Amino acid sequence: MSDPKMKFLVVDDFSTMRRIVRNLLKELGFTNVDEAEDGQIALQKLNSLPFDFVVTDWNMPNMDGLTLLQNIRATPSLKHLPVLMITAEAKKENIIAAAQAGASGYIVKPFTAATLSEKLEKIFEKMGKKAA
Amino acid sequence: MSDFSGMEDLLQDFLVEAGDLLSGVDNKLVDLERAPNDTGLLNDIFRGFHTIKGGAGFLNAAELVTLCHLTENLFDKLRNGELEITPEVMDVILSSTGAVRDMFGYLEQGVQPGAADPHLIENLRLAIAGSLSHAAAAPSAPPEPARAAEPPRAVAEAPVPVAVQASEPDWNVLFETVTGTAVAAPAAVEPPAPVVMHQTDEDLARKSPDQIIKAAVGRRVTDKPGASGPVGRRDSEKQRDNSIRVDTARLDQVLNLSGEIGLTKNRLNALRSDILNGRNDTETLHALDLAVSQLDLLVSDLQNAVMKTRMQPIGRLFQKYPRIARDLARNLGKDVELVLSGEETEIDKTMIEDLSDPIIHLIRNAVDHGVEETQERLANGKPEKSIVRLEARQEGDHIVILVADDGRGMNAERLRAKAVEKGLITDEEANTMDERQSFNLVFLPGFSMASQISDVSGRGVGMDVVRTNIQKLNGSIEIRSSMGKGTTFIISLPLTLAILPVLLVRLGEQPFAVPLSMVREILPIEPAEVQEVGGRATMVVRGEVLPIMPLSSLLGWDPVQTPEYGVLMQSAEQSFILAIDSFAGREDAVIKSLDDFRPKGVAGVTTLSNGQIVLILDMKELLGALGDSRGGVSRRALLAAMDVPALAA
Repeated sequence: MSDPKMKFLVVDDFSTMRRIVRNLLKELGFTNVDEAEDGQIALQKLNSLPFDFVVTDWNMPNMDGLTLLQNIRATPSLKHLPVLMITAEAKKENIIAAAQAGASGYIVKPFTAATLSEKLEKIFEKMGKKAA
Repeated sequence: MSDFSGMEDLLQDFLVEAGDLLSGVDNKLVDLERAPNDTGLLNDIFRGFHTIKGGAGFLNAAELVTLCHLTENLFDKLRNGELEITPEVMDVILSSTGAVRDMFGYLEQGVQPGAADPHLIENLRLAIAGSLSHAAAAPSAPPEPARAAEPPRAVAEAPVPVAVQASEPDWNVLFETVTGTAVAAPAAVEPPAPVVMHQTDEDLARKSPDQIIKAAVGRRVTDKPGASGPVGRRDSEKQRDNSIRVDTARLDQVLNLSGEIGLTKNRLNALRSDILNGRNDTETLHALDLAVSQLDLLVSDLQNAVMKTRMQPIGRLFQKYPRIARDLARNLGKDVELVLSGEETEIDKTMIEDLSDPIIHLIRNAVDHGVEETQERLANGKPEKSIVRLEARQEGDHIVILVADDGRGMNAERLRAKAVEKGLITDEEANTMDERQSFNLVFLPGFSMASQISDVSGRGVGMDVVRTNIQKLNGSIEIRSSMGKGTTFIISLPLTLAILPVLLVRLGEQPFAVPLSMVREILPIEPAEVQEVGGRATMVVRGEVLPIMPLSSLLGWDPVQTPEYGVLMQSAEQSFILAIDSFAGREDAVIKSLDDFRPKGVAGVTTLSNGQIVLILDMKELLGALGDSRGGVSRRALLAAMDVPALAA
């Protein structure tokens, strides 16, 4: 299911973190990665370029990850996009909020390439089921 | 071995970015003190700690994660209105940013930071529990039984230390069991340590300004790591200092221009073959002319673009100062606000680093000496709070930085008296000094007030060092002051150190370059106007008697001919007339330094358009090398070359 040509959008206001995620994705064989600094910029990019997957931080200025997710789900052309939320918290209410907003998955910092891979696989699996 | 092998790049990125973030947080904290309920500020600060925590997790810096996590939790409660900012809470927050900065210091040296001061951690926990002020009220009381009996509540509230969070809850499981299962709680909360006094103003008062600055700036290259830090881990630090963050748009421009230059070069190659093959009709020559003009334009664009990659907004430097000013002012019992402007002004990166210490010193000086005691201000009808302005702006090809206070101003007479008392100048000299010259006395080595010496001796920075550092950057510093109204220090710097505007002068046929920044005017030397004062040749220019220094004698050459022109040079210390044979005009010199071989008085070399190599003179060093004689010559010696044929005839 996982196509190495998939185009990822990594959203985080901390460039070090974008680089970390980009590197981890590269380790997993995904090299087609673009970045955005916050939800607003991400939304602009999503609306103008084709993407296959969104990995977004939660806490960001201008537009946070949850609002970005809600926006994606409310946009007909984007609502099918898998969105993986990254956060530093494993708080129950956060997880519920993410689930209610329609997150495809949730990953807590810090994580390794293996954890990321596992999360991605699960999402691909679900997408595959839906497609089938 | 570093604790971060394989992660060096990540670590460097993190330190640069997180360092900026922390400075931003520091600034916002200063603002927060004035507007404790500003949700925007609280959110920003919360996010700052949150982001640093996230990055630290990937570096396995567990202690940094814990510290940031606690501070973040505190801010979460503050922004939700569950807690309010009290001076005690503020102190804990400030200590916490200090501790984070200390940890960055360790990371910079490739070492995992150890746990933060347990007192700080305990105070953070107390602050989060909302019982800090109570604890602070009973500083030496033993742990309260009530608290000890509270662990269950503490667990419920306790943050989940992310580092411990190896068993991250499975997303799907949680999703399905949304109703209840608790998030993997931490195994235990540390038993409350004995309640200790938090850092109070008294604590702050016990800190020397030096410590305040150090705490705010963090570990510096010039600091010895000492017992608390490991020795011999300088490599990563060097790497950091040598790396630069460049806007990709700017790099693209460089790439674009070099591509264009490549195309123009191809065009020139083709034209060369044509011309070598005998085609030199008007059309070919016109095409050549066009191509060369284009190359000219492109190269200067490229130079500009490359220079711009070195330019950084000065705000990066400025943002750490409000906190320093605040701490210093609090330490002195004054109310001072540092107001920044012009943060977006761009300046050469190497200069930013070298400006840090001088500006700290000027701010310290303004807060300490410039601003009056509160009572004095009130007595003079001034507002209690004083404003110190730190401004940057570009003026032509210069960057101007101002440090201005609204304090008592400088007393020229007292400065003169003090300089005489310290034996730095004679009574006679003091009597001839105007206001500007009197102000400049503070730049003399050994002028500093006694208190200044003790306060900053650790750093070895006095006003004389400030000026020396500014001059090293080819800049100048000037003082304007008005009694009762305040003092302004004005630093003027060239845009970049890579390109130096110079005046080309000649001695016989040999050209030399002198920095244009020192040149005031060029005047002919008329033998009739040369007078001898105190055994030295001088000329009177608009009422000012100026010594004439022949370039030949500065260089130790035998004079070949009588100098025809004088260049009026002005440096911070003195004005004089540099006698030369002729001059060739101004040029923007690209300085090549002579690293291994550097004769005294030569700042570097540059190449002229005709390929000739020219020495760029360092006037200060040339003058310094001559010691007392100062390069002056007698009238007879100056005019010797002219006198000889006169005698012969």
